[in-house]
Amino acid sequence: MMYKLLKRSRVVISLLILVVITLNFLYFATSETLFFANFLKIQFVPALLGAFTGSGIIFISLIILTLLFGRVYCSTLCPLGTSQDIITRFANIFKSKKNRRFTYSPPKNVMRYSLLALAGIALIFGITSIISFLDPYSNFGRICTEFLGRGEQLIQNGLSMILPESVSSSIYTTYVAGSFIFTASFLILIIVMSAFWGRLYCNTICPVGTFLGLLSRFSMFKPKINSQKCNHCNLCIQNCKSGCIDTKSGIIDESRCVACLNCMTVCKKGAVSYKFVWKKEHKEEIVIDKNTDKLQSRERREAIIAMGLMGTLLASRAFSLPRQINSTPKVTGIAPPGAGSIENLKNNCTACQACISACPNGIIKPATTQYGLDGILMPVLSFERQFCAFDCTVCNQVCPNGALKPLSLEEKKLTQIGHANFRLKRCIVYTDKTDCGACDEHCPTKAITMVPYRDTGLFIPKLDKDICIGCGGCQYVCPATPEKAITVTANETHKVAQKPTVEKQEKVKVDSFGF
Amino acid sequence: MERRNFLKAALLGSIAGAIQLKSENVFAGKKATAPEKNDLVAVMGGDPVTMYNKGILAMGGISRFVKKGQKVVVKPNIGWDKKPELAANTNPLLVAAIVKDCLAAGASEVVVFDHTCDEWKACYKNSGIEDAAKSAGAKIGFAHDEKYYKNVDLPNGVRLKSAKIHESIVDCDVWINVPILKNHGGAKMTISMKNYMGIVWDRGFWHSNDLQQCIADCSTYSKKPAINIVDAYRIMTQNGPKGKSEEDVVLAKALFISTDIVAADTAALKFFNQFREMNMESVAHIGRAEKLNVGTTNLDSIKVERIKI
Repeated sequence: MMYKLLKRSRVVISLLILVVITLNFLYFATSETLFFANFLKIQFVPALLGAFTGSGIIFISLIILTLLFGRVYCSTLCPLGTSQDIITRFANIFKSKKNRRFTYSPPKNVMRYSLLALAGIALIFGITSIISFLDPYSNFGRICTEFLGRGEQLIQNGLSMILPESVSSSIYTTYVAGSFIFTASFLILIIVMSAFWGRLYCNTICPVGTFLGLLSRFSMFKPKINSQKCNHCNLCIQNCKSGCIDTKSGIIDESRCVACLNCMTVCKKGAVSYKFVWKKEHKEEIVIDKNTDKLQSRERREAIIAMGLMGTLLASRAFSLPRQINSTPKVTGIAPPGAGSIENLKNNCTACQACISACPNGIIKPATTQYGLDGILMPVLSFERQFCAFDCTVCNQVCPNGALKPLSLEEKKLTQIGHANFRLKRCIVYTDKTDCGACDEHCPTKAITMVPYRDTGLFIPKLDKDICIGCGGCQYVCPATPEKAITVTANETHKVAQKPTVEKQEKVKVDSFGF
Repeated sequence: MERRNFLKAALLGSIAGAIQLKSENVFAGKKATAPEKNDLVAVMGGDPVTMYNKGILAMGGISRFVKKGQKVVVKPNIGWDKKPELAANTNPLLVAAIVKDCLAAGASEVVVFDHTCDEWKACYKNSGIEDAAKSAGAKIGFAHDEKYYKNVDLPNGVRLKSAKIHESIVDCDVWINVPILKNHGGAKMTISMKNYMGIVWDRGFWHSNDLQQCIADCSTYSKKPAINIVDAYRIMTQNGPKGKSEEDVVLAKALFISTDIVAADTAALKFFNQFREMNMESVAHIGRAEKLNVGTTNLDSIKVERIKI
């Protein structure tokens, strides 16, 4: 009974979290409330990467949670995990009753440990690419942006045709082929894996699952089969989406168990239950089975190695070691405000695209080559359709990783993400000898001012690079063709711009109309 | 006593009745001396709503321009994501007052929109115009997508021969142009004619094809605003049209209403000139529009009323 209640609450909580996180990428992404964005921070990889920038407590809580009850994160908090359960359920509709049953499968240790090692070691060296390709949360974020987000925009635009006066049309998220194809491939992979093998992804590919699995070797409570009560009906195996119950030996592989509580709910004999294993464990094991003990000691060694990896990783992040490898000789991408530097972005970003879907101006897109190989899919600004709004800090507020650090509006207004370059010979005033001033019009800091141009009576832009913050307003609006007369070049490390000058003006007292 | 009172009352009553019946004749002389209505009204010294009320009354009331059952568009400047104190957008109180007035005159609907420069939702919201217009009973028009615009020919244009103009302007019965008086880096000044940049889709073409001429060309569009109401309550005298801080803004407390767009801009420019030097020649689009017979810069040739509060 207790387990039924527990399972129901788990399902409810996991669905709530799934909905909240999904909404954060859809309608609520650009809204003013950051309520939804807070739920991104409880994800494991964001908490790990942000451990020294505000998410420390969340990270420790997640570790403690795992040390208490195993991989609760995987069954309850992970949106990709819940999605897989939904896909499995949906796939069951098309399966015969027999095919719905899960079977025990041996662990794919080589694969899961090498992927964990690869992602972990890369992270120690400051490369987030590998973890960002494998991290369940980031992949879920990309699915939301690339598919659900576009779907939402499609629906909105459809509605705007039917109800033109009350529903506004929406611009589509910038399409970047690389990111779309990657996400589509991942989506197909996850659908196939979960439709046929339950939580196989979580137990062979997902580095978070593998790490938490190793950690749950030390859990205080573990799922155990009481051999006296068990009648080997195999009902638990048939319902175990992790395929981690071996009734022959009566062992549940807790490293692959995602704490979904299915086995405990279905067992008619009440033979499967959580057992407190911290106290008498050793004595019992020695008495009962020497083989288990041997097995456990090997697994513990692996677990300890993983802990060492995590320790090194945390240490390397705590002391924020400079990047060991840098694949980019030249950086051309402009990183969103709050990134601090492209190096910092690469050290912390897992390309979950929360900032991309949050940007009200739709100017952030996933990078292809702008940051180099190790910055693929990371957010990069593009001023083709809009520019960075002066009074907006949304992108750095929603970032759960600390890859974009939250800026106050005052800080943001002085954050120089790039700097404008003006080429006189392409300017309309120079080529056509007519007034223009589009760039000056859009410049929020008046780094661009219009000054008399020779004795033509015309005015031409003058650029003060110290005041420029690189918002791209000038580049976006410059009407010069085929090449813009003013463009923004990235600052590899963001700078603090000088405060805009204040031109005091004499307050003239005017009493007449002047005509 | 009672009889006397009755007779007095009866006498007064009959006189009043006679006057009322023949009122047209009695006031005919006065009317003959002022047969034409004001072309331009300049108001000074009040809050936006008071100035509007006095000004529109002097123009003959809104019912001179808006008839019962008509679809009306009120087109303010909502170009920037700035609060009203920074004077980058038309005063929301003025917009609301005009909307209410149009609805009171029997307009079937009033639409308020602008093709913004900053992100449109932020502009609509932070300018205070969306809230003000909605609570006054207007509808908010969307203008952030090319699909909301219709192609219109401008046969009298010199450089701009056609433009994509917002559908609500093309489809309405009457539109009212409500710009704010500002300094402008490119066009020198932005007043009524420059406010047309918010009814078209492709502004970039204007910038790259002689901005001043395109502004004048677009004002030849056959569907002219019924009136131009220039908000000069707060005026941006420098760093326009976006502005940086309140230091760029002067509290000028004025309002100009005219049926003649060129006259409205001329009057507003001459008023502006008292705060910061700006001559007609540099704001070339005003003179060029006059050449295209859009209106007159000669304020002595039209009927002007000046009101000080």
